[in-house]
Amino acid sequence: MESDELSFLGGLRDGFPICVGYFPTAMAFGLVCRNDSLKLWDAALFSLTNFAGSGQFLAESLLTSGAMIAELAISVFLVNLRYLFMGAVINANLTGVHGIRRFFIAFGTTDEVFSVSVLKGRLLTGSYMTGLQLISYLGWCSGTIVGFLIGSLLPYELQLAVGVTLYAMFSSLLSGAILTDGPWMLVIAAVSAATNSLLVRGVGLGTGWAFVISMLSATGIGALRPTTEEIAS
Amino acid sequence: MSHGIPFFVFIIVSAVATIVVRLIPYYLSGTDHMPPYLKRCMRLLPVAAIGALIFPGVVTDFGTQWYAGIAGILAAALLGLKKLPMIASIVTSIIVTYLVLLI
Repeated sequence: MESDELSFLGGLRDGFPICVGYFPTAMAFGLVCRNDSLKLWDAALFSLTNFAGSGQFLAESLLTSGAMIAELAISVFLVNLRYLFMGAVINANLTGVHGIRRFFIAFGTTDEVFSVSVLKGRLLTGSYMTGLQLISYLGWCSGTIVGFLIGSLLPYELQLAVGVTLYAMFSSLLSGAILTDGPWMLVIAAVSAATNSLLVRGVGLGTGWAFVISMLSATGIGALRPTTEEIAS
Repeated sequence: MSHGIPFFVFIIVSAVATIVVRLIPYYLSGTDHMPPYLKRCMRLLPVAAIGALIFPGVVTDFGTQWYAGIAGILAAALLGLKKLPMIASIVTSIIVTYLVLLI
């Protein structure tokens, strides 16, 4: 018998704050999709099959800007590369999970699920992870649909202003990164912003490739400086 | 439609690219013993992505009223620094952008 803490219900309880946090962000995604004249079905399919914040926003903007499939695949792969590290840590703490359940736990790996489960600081059960990820997933998918539907009630100018949602989300995320990891994060983001602006506006490179080059060069430069704390694995 | 390819094809490609990254560490061993430089890279990728995700899009999306987007992200960044929840940042940013667009 598993302890209550690591049961399915324990996972649901720990995942509830994630669900509440995901809902408005997913609503923003739904609004952005609607603003770029995607169908409700497309927006829902995005959240149901991708279940990834920045990856989805990026894929959506590349898709609507007419990028090539290879550009989209490589960009999304790179922006999600951190899941490699997060998944490795969760996997090391996970016991007795095989087959399709292992696949679903891998699918449900997100930044927030990672933080919550790793902070649990002990061996994780499949039931706990399922509860944690399921409630997060429900918040993300339902938020997308609600955001998309509410978008149609907004006046025109407001719909235009909603275009800032994505940038506001990133800018707020950047503030959070600066608060936790210091002003060096702002330098990295600035290098990437400047490189991307130069490549897109100056050189006229495709948005996907420009994004990949900007992100990798800023990361390479940023990682030369050791961070204050490394997550124990 | 981009190049006549239906949207859902792009969405599924994006999903596959995401799932592959997530599956690797659960089915291959060794990914938890990366050199420190690579580990730092993994952690910094999202921050490095943010810069390129904001610029130049936030300027070009609003055309001649480019300052509306800038005002919006500054508002969001300030509220973020005050540790307010992301939804507060987003809603304020939309209101600020909307008001600037009306000027």
